[in-house]
Amino acid sequence: MTVLGKCIAVSVCSLMLMAVAWAEDSALYTVKDGYKVDAATLEGFKTWRAAACDRCHGANQQGLVGPSLLESMKVLSKEDFALAVIEGRLEKGMPAFKTSKKVTGNIDQLYAYLKGRSDGAITRARVRPIE
Amino acid sequence: MRLVRNLVFGVLACAGLLPVAASGNSDVERLIGSPSNWAMQAGDMYNQRYSKLNQVNAGNVGKLQVAWLFSTGVLRGHEGSPLVIGDMMYIHTPFPNKVFAMDLNTQKIKWKYEPRQDPAVIPQMCCDTVYRGLAYAENKIFLQQADSMLVALDARSGDVLWSVKNGDPSLGAVNTNAPHIFKNKVITGISGGEWGVRGFIAAYDINTGREVWKAYSTGPDAEMLIDPDSTTTWKDGRIQPVGRNSSLDTWQGDQWKIGGGTTWGWYSYDKALNLMYYGTGNPSTWNPSQRPGDNKWSMTIFARDVDTGMAKWVYQMTPFDEWDFDGVNEMILADIPVKGKGTKALVHFDRNGFAYTLDRTNGALLVAEKYDPKVNWATHVDMRSGRPQVVSRYSTAQNGPDVNTKGICPAALGTKDQQPAAYSPKTKLFYVPTNHVCMDYEPFEVEYVAGQPYVGATLAMYPAPGSHGGMGNFIAWDAGTGKIVWSKPEKFSVWSGALATAGDIVFYGTLEGYLKAVRKSDGKELWKFKTPSGIIGNVFTYMHKGKQYVGVFSGIGGWAGIGLAAGLEKDADGLGAVGGYRELSQYTDLGGSLTIFALPN
Repeated sequence: MTVLGKCIAVSVCSLMLMAVAWAEDSALYTVKDGYKVDAATLEGFKTWRAAACDRCHGANQQGLVGPSLLESMKVLSKEDFALAVIEGRLEKGMPAFKTSKKVTGNIDQLYAYLKGRSDGAITRARVRPIE
Repeated sequence: MRLVRNLVFGVLACAGLLPVAASGNSDVERLIGSPSNWAMQAGDMYNQRYSKLNQVNAGNVGKLQVAWLFSTGVLRGHEGSPLVIGDMMYIHTPFPNKVFAMDLNTQKIKWKYEPRQDPAVIPQMCCDTVYRGLAYAENKIFLQQADSMLVALDARSGDVLWSVKNGDPSLGAVNTNAPHIFKNKVITGISGGEWGVRGFIAAYDINTGREVWKAYSTGPDAEMLIDPDSTTTWKDGRIQPVGRNSSLDTWQGDQWKIGGGTTWGWYSYDKALNLMYYGTGNPSTWNPSQRPGDNKWSMTIFARDVDTGMAKWVYQMTPFDEWDFDGVNEMILADIPVKGKGTKALVHFDRNGFAYTLDRTNGALLVAEKYDPKVNWATHVDMRSGRPQVVSRYSTAQNGPDVNTKGICPAALGTKDQQPAAYSPKTKLFYVPTNHVCMDYEPFEVEYVAGQPYVGATLAMYPAPGSHGGMGNFIAWDAGTGKIVWSKPEKFSVWSGALATAGDIVFYGTLEGYLKAVRKSDGKELWKFKTPSGIIGNVFTYMHKGKQYVGVFSGIGGWAGIGLAAGLEKDADGLGAVGGYRELSQYTDLGGSLTIFALPN
């Protein structure tokens, strides 16, 4: 294999290991090896578990009493997502999280984490920091 | 003169000086005395779930067939069972907590009641919108709504007689339990351990709804109705007074105020002792590192004087819970030989995987043994201290926050959850629906926000490894020796309340939707029938016009039916055995209905 060939192979490998989603001009999330994520996305995960979202949406966002977020996040706009989380959808059983500072203060991070899960880029629900 | 005499009588009666109410509620007692009725959720005040009816029996149960069906029009998990009083059947539903009064002669709905409840209560319920049933006394139906309103309805018309607010649902204090009638009081508890609700039990006057007493599970002695000198507990191998500040001394700071100990199980009552029995739930949060101490009196069996609410004795099963092993499961009262000696026993199958036999007169610990051999978080219960001996490897507190403690048996939903067991006075054995599920448990730091979930742990659950691959067993248990007599494996958790009858059979339902009848002597399956949805309701029986009927709610849901399918998809682990509850969708789907069975004419 030529040096150039090696370089290309390494680059392709890197691309395979590192998924970066872009929204507007900045990365929505950065993920390595499917479960190592940037600090903001990690905060999104911590928000997810602090708010006990798993009780209705499943430990892996696959849906239970509540809908699968792996699916919902494909169709929800960021604005609709934020509205549903903050104001709730009470008649459907979705609580309003407006009194939770953890949730309101990390709504972008929560969105990034769930979007990463829904995109299939984050392959494990339990994420860890990129070293 | 007559007026004066009546006045005097009235005053004396009010002051409790006349022996007019020396019963467990004479009306209810009369009704449960006839096996034709199913007048309480457990059929009696001892929580035995036993019927003297024997028309349906081991010899003919194979011929049992559907007599009629009724759709409740509600989709979510259907726990508990209807009541039958004479010619009337009273049917409840999960949220929105509808009540139907059905005339069994015509099968017409005589009246229907549907309360108005703010749908905001739905997301405040941790584990599906279940409701475990109604109570009946003196021509009144008692409905405990999800939003905590306790309502008395006129059993003849469905008209509201009184209603009282039992908790604040905006703070997560909601209700799922059935109210219980003991003497002239309706007793109810509270849910919300996952919202940091401070648990209590309360007694209301059946005629007016006036609160008679209220006793918290945690906090200052006076608020728990605990007397430091006369309330006793099991310590150092004997009965001793609990002493002052028995709860406060076991919490750090004010954590007890948001410390759980909720009371959503099944209560029982011994008229001769005038004591009622119930258990308290998990301490909040699920992250044990945030609440060092024994967290008394969460996870505790309480015996209380039903008139005053004063605690006679307490026994804490799981001090400093690290696994969500609520102590709310039913307290079954039975007079049985314990290690060869006739005993007024209380038998309790705890979430923590140990079955306890206590002397119900004084709370002395007699037997504490595992009722699933896979239980591993503790080696045994030390009979002197009454404390389970925790295995460090499975201690989520010792391993600490953000560490995933793996392979704990049982899982958080326990070797058994609320699904009540049955006791047969004929065999002196207990018939117990169980879970055979283990878990990984990762606690994490969580901040309390009023009205928001306050959980603090992430769980994954899966069938007990190294066993038959299923997630449940239906077992027969000897509470006098603490031994399993027989065990029948089930594919899924058995989340349905059992019924034992004088016909030498025991009934239970399965999550796939089967109602099954097994032989008491060896668990042999004699009959099964697939109902429209998974069964998490309790089997009941009654007699109408000389014919015995057996019934059960279908309607998958609850923690097992929906909540559990959760943790199983362990994406990273690539576990081949994950099947578990996820497979449930191959058997059943949502839908509430009642199926009534009888032998052909």
